[in-house]
Amino acid sequence: MDLSRAKQEKEKKIQNLSFSKINKQHINYIRITKIMKVNILFLLFSLLITNFSLISSTKSSFISLLGVAPQDENYFKTETIKCRNGSKKFTRAQLNDDFCDCPDGTDEPGTSACPHGKFYCVNVGHLPVSLHSSKVNDGICDCCDGSDEYDGEVKCPNTCWEAGKVTRDKLKKKIDIYKEGVTIRKKEVEQAKQAIVKDKEELSKLKNNEKSLKGLVKNLKARKEQIKAEEKERLVKEKEEMMKMAADDKSDDEHKESSSSTTLDSENNGLSDEPSVDQQQKDEYENTEGLPTDGSESTEGLLREELGRLVASRWTGEKTEHQVEEVSPSKDNHEGNNEIPEGTDDKDHDNNDDANRVRKDYEDSTTRLSDIQERIASLTEKLKHDFGMEKEFYFYYDQCFETKQDKYVYKVCPFKDASQEEGYQITQLGQWEKFENSYGTMLFSNGDGCWNGPDRSVKVKLRCGLKTELTDVKEPSRCEYVALMSTPIHCLEGKLEELERKLESMYNEQLQGGHDEL
Amino acid sequence: MKPLAPFILSLLFLTSQTVLSFKREEFRNCHQTPFCKRARSRYPGACTLTPHSISISNGDLTATLLSKTDEQIRPLILSLSVYQDGILRLKIDEDYNHPDPPAPKRRFQVPDVVLPEFESNKLWLQRLSTETVDGESSPSTVVYLSDGYDAVLRHDPFEIYIRDKKSGNQKLISLNSHQLFDFEQLRVKQEKQDSDNNEDSGSDDNWEERFRSHTDTRPYGPQSISFDVSFYNAEFVSGIPEHATSLALKPTRGPGVEKDSEPYRLFNLDVFEYLNESPFGLYGSIPLMISHGKEGRSAGFFWLNAAEMQIDVLGDGWDAEYGIELVKQKSIDTFWMSEAGIVDAFFFVGPGPKDVVKQYTSVTGRPSMPQLFSIAYHQCRWNYRDEEDVENVDAKFDEHDIPYDVLWLDIEHTDGKRYFTWDPVLFPNPEEMQKKLAAKGRHMVTIVDPHIKRDDSFRVHKEATEKGYYVRDASGKDFDGWCWPGSSSYLDMVNPEIRSWWGDKFSYENYVGSTPSLYIWNDMNEPSVFNGPEVSMPRDALHHGDIEHRELHNAYGYYFHMATSNGLLKRGVGNDRPFVLSRAFFPGSQRYGSVWTGDNTADWDHLRVSVPMILTLGLSGISFSGADVGGFFGNPEPELLVRWYQLGAFYPFFRAHAHQDTKRREPWLFGEKNTRLIREAIHVRYMLLPYFYTLFREANTTGIPVMRPLWMEFPSDEITFSNDEAFMVGSSLLVQGIYTERAKYASVYLPGKELWYDIRTGAAYKGGKTHKLEAKEESVPAFQRAGTIIPRKDRLRRSSTQMVNDPYTLVIALNSSQAAEGELYIDDGKSYEFLQGAYIHRRFVFANGKLTSINLAPSSSSKSQFSSKSILERIILLGYSPGPKNALIEPANQKTEVELGPLMLQGGRGSSVVTIRKPAVQVSDDWTIKIL
Repeated sequence: MDLSRAKQEKEKKIQNLSFSKINKQHINYIRITKIMKVNILFLLFSLLITNFSLISSTKSSFISLLGVAPQDENYFKTETIKCRNGSKKFTRAQLNDDFCDCPDGTDEPGTSACPHGKFYCVNVGHLPVSLHSSKVNDGICDCCDGSDEYDGEVKCPNTCWEAGKVTRDKLKKKIDIYKEGVTIRKKEVEQAKQAIVKDKEELSKLKNNEKSLKGLVKNLKARKEQIKAEEKERLVKEKEEMMKMAADDKSDDEHKESSSSTTLDSENNGLSDEPSVDQQQKDEYENTEGLPTDGSESTEGLLREELGRLVASRWTGEKTEHQVEEVSPSKDNHEGNNEIPEGTDDKDHDNNDDANRVRKDYEDSTTRLSDIQERIASLTEKLKHDFGMEKEFYFYYDQCFETKQDKYVYKVCPFKDASQEEGYQITQLGQWEKFENSYGTMLFSNGDGCWNGPDRSVKVKLRCGLKTELTDVKEPSRCEYVALMSTPIHCLEGKLEELERKLESMYNEQLQGGHDEL
Repeated sequence: MKPLAPFILSLLFLTSQTVLSFKREEFRNCHQTPFCKRARSRYPGACTLTPHSISISNGDLTATLLSKTDEQIRPLILSLSVYQDGILRLKIDEDYNHPDPPAPKRRFQVPDVVLPEFESNKLWLQRLSTETVDGESSPSTVVYLSDGYDAVLRHDPFEIYIRDKKSGNQKLISLNSHQLFDFEQLRVKQEKQDSDNNEDSGSDDNWEERFRSHTDTRPYGPQSISFDVSFYNAEFVSGIPEHATSLALKPTRGPGVEKDSEPYRLFNLDVFEYLNESPFGLYGSIPLMISHGKEGRSAGFFWLNAAEMQIDVLGDGWDAEYGIELVKQKSIDTFWMSEAGIVDAFFFVGPGPKDVVKQYTSVTGRPSMPQLFSIAYHQCRWNYRDEEDVENVDAKFDEHDIPYDVLWLDIEHTDGKRYFTWDPVLFPNPEEMQKKLAAKGRHMVTIVDPHIKRDDSFRVHKEATEKGYYVRDASGKDFDGWCWPGSSSYLDMVNPEIRSWWGDKFSYENYVGSTPSLYIWNDMNEPSVFNGPEVSMPRDALHHGDIEHRELHNAYGYYFHMATSNGLLKRGVGNDRPFVLSRAFFPGSQRYGSVWTGDNTADWDHLRVSVPMILTLGLSGISFSGADVGGFFGNPEPELLVRWYQLGAFYPFFRAHAHQDTKRREPWLFGEKNTRLIREAIHVRYMLLPYFYTLFREANTTGIPVMRPLWMEFPSDEITFSNDEAFMVGSSLLVQGIYTERAKYASVYLPGKELWYDIRTGAAYKGGKTHKLEAKEESVPAFQRAGTIIPRKDRLRRSSTQMVNDPYTLVIALNSSQAAEGELYIDDGKSYEFLQGAYIHRRFVFANGKLTSINLAPSSSSKSQFSSKSILERIILLGYSPGPKNALIEPANQKTEVELGPLMLQGGRGSSVVTIRKPAVQVSDDWTIKIL
């Protein structure tokens, strides 16, 4: 077949295509008119006219504008057209002539000639799509209106109407969920705000209490010291009197002694036993390092099955009895540090009622103070976190969410940690790090290490849903988990508006295309 | 206790660091291998054999080799045969007719490797002549080999060599010139002689050997064979894959070589994290060595033997210490040692490197013609987790407009590592999954390994047990080893009946869930046995016909590959070309599919060594090979990954693969820029598919590999001899890898006298020079040789399937006389119709300003024809001065425009090269296009 004939035939084919399209639309109108109310009929009729006139006026340029988005049509109106990247110019005759003139694909929106081109399918009845040129006439139906396959190799049925309806229905459902979700969210945000206010109030109240308590404790302490000193003085005096003839420098010694013991005390309150823990760890570490680990593993004397497992484990990282057991680190326990302050070590009891009362008051107040301080610390710690733009995640602080998948239970505690549990074995998937993706993702990192891989981490992606629940956990890359969590907190008003706009625009397309869902 | 957690984690990390290493101590070195140790301690001149009763029998020269001393148990029988194209075959085996002591069994001769067609090309010897060569005291028997070559059997000392009459009867290649030949003969252990061991039976060493926790029993005593082979006037030797070493083999013994240096080992092993630059044996073995010297002279030597082999390349002056000068002519000497088997050796006279490969593949077979899809891009990972993962990865390729043809599933897709099954949870609908891929013209490959799970509910195991199809251990029970499924047994594929039974397992009925778009991957077929000696099968395990495993070890994977490939052939009713990737290989593997270089590592050294490894495989007949793009172990930096794609796009087999512990690394995961770079690298491969396919056809008909050392195309250019960083794709493209991080420059040697054109920019570079080029992130340096024509298909598609009807571009690079030529081969890319002549084969010749398309296909019978709808959409002329405006197409008598256009559409480079626009001629037709 020579070139010009091939071109003619192609043009004919494309014309046929455009005519059959019009026919199809026409049939649709007829079908619709049967169920139409009269007033809408008039509106549609006028639309129909405009549609026809539009198509007939652009019919001559249909071939050349194949694959061009409606908003871009003007770009191709002139006789000489620039490649969009400015590299070159081409004539109107070269537009969609199945030869790539612009490396960026400007001149071949409707063919596969340029590797970087884009093909626009109108997809009447559904959403328009911009395809990579590689998908034009490749024998695979990509556009629901079938417009990407026009060389006659395959027949693509128009599925836009059905597909569009499915999409719209899905979208509608989604919007419904969003609407309800947005309401729940608003409530939760309101409640969170109140809770924060409450917590803050409590905090400032506590701080005031702390302040006055501190004063009280200070006074009581002073009083106690005073009593002690007075007592001491009294004793000294008595002694002095009793031992008047004895040596003079004794009291000096005592003084020294008491001051040195104070120094010791203050040290004890600080870091005194830390170095020894460090030392212990270091020892342990060195000891373990000295043990034959996997690297210098001795395979002699293993049972044959053990040897098989051991060698297999090099590839898989699975454990065998001959490898170091992975120890899941015990959860750190914040409780238990609340030591009850020991009673004072005064051995010389005083029978003085006043002194006892002061001591008891002092002890009570100290306990109260430390309780308050603890509460302040935990509130401060909590309030330090970033709870989102509207503090909407405030209630997540004290919650955990679980889901069971196969043999594992996954547990996510926002602002704290995430884990995977299999029976009694707990694997840390990560410690709370931060929100990502403008509060759309929660990131937990630095979990338990992986054999031959990274430390475990998990990303929890949030979805809008009416209930807060963990729905799905995957491990797309070794030890890098991705979880989905639905929650009303993620039902954002902005997104709802976007979805509504999208639905609206789909209906508009519909109307232009002549479909109706009334 | 809080601080303990990070401490334990760091400890685990340390542990895993030490896990990540090659386990040298698990593998035997030569010193720990008795036959190797013994052979290496022999000295030149030790051989006392001489040929007797020389005669012609059955068209061969035959003789009896007798020792001058009395130590021989029974005579040896020697035969020399001559085949077409100057191929000499030497066999030496025991005299099985000798009555006392009789040989306790026949030694193993590797069956099913030498082609029957080759055997039928034997030239029946008519006469022998005896002459005394100048300066020698003993006579020699001379046999005509081919035009210009004689094969000579020297009697005393015994030696076999080929002499080149054109060079004044200089030796070309010889065996036993240093009299290192030794042949340990089969014996039977005498029952408990205890204290009065005679010297022969020696220590227990001879009957039993311990290595680590394994004991190897040797019921026939030591049975090794060793000899020296010399290559004359050679500058270097190459071949004997598989080792992660340079293309030109470095000496392993002699002056300047470390005393404890190991020979090159040929023993198929599953080596965990193998090392770069090591003579250590890897997954496959081909005992073929090719020598090359000045004036482009090549010769080859091939020893068909499947037992463990160790080969020393002896450095110049290695024999000086022995004080005997046995060989006067300059040579590279090599020393070959094998644990068992017979001498069945082939000598190839060349004269060029391509001739040697042709000769070698005339013996072991030409590479099979692959399906078109299989030479495109493959996406693999251990493991694509489930059907959803598969669907997502597939969709992402489309989303990012990156073509790929095959998605691979590793071991985790099976139900408990029972091959031919699917994990019911992860892959509940395998057929539907494959059909979805097939709807986009894509294929799937699943893994099928030779270890069979010992599970009575597993049909394959049950049948194999009942039929006695497993390899047996030394005690005669089914061998039970450990592999992925746990306790496993191994099918005895040396038996044709078992191979046929195995082949049937691939039928659609037997392999439930398989569809016509599914092909196969054979891994672990060395065989890998996790709890076996050196991670393999015990040498005293027994095969069909009481063959000891030691005798055929290196061929085990080959028979498995063969059985799988033949199974797919059967599945496709003989008209669907099988695709089977194998890790283990042996001479002849090229007939059954492709191989890859196994579990490499994501580092720059492994990127670099992939080139000599693939080149060596190509020289050894295995043209269709590649390395895991990105590196199997470890996480490549994006730059390394991109460079690997850019190089890997030119590997004959182009597949990305990764270990399950690595981070995901599909092409779009490294930012927009890297996605673009990887897309472009893959796209270049797709553009060049017509060229690659034509080269695969050339390999299929001649054995000449797709990817070639520079010296194969420029045999007398000595600068190329040590170059294994650059390579040729066919005769027209030169590719230079970039093997360092953040490289600023790339040094590229361009051989020959003609110009070379950068395939992206069209910039011209002089030949015969080393150019220091700026390293660009867009690509590795690649050049088209002036005087060549490369066919391309420039349109990007989602897979090669959609490219079938796409138009062609011809890139013509003119030489200094403004001429060029090239070829294009097209067939249906799938069936065997091409064997009946259903193909298009064109030669394009450009001369005197005119391009002519000439038919190379024989005018085929009307019965079987192949037609193509494709036209020519663009002709690019490099080295043509701009000016002409038109070209005339004949016979259509039509004019078409000539303009300036881009050389490559991707990357959007400016218009700079002379382009004939839309000639629109049918690619299958005869036509001329004249520039006006």
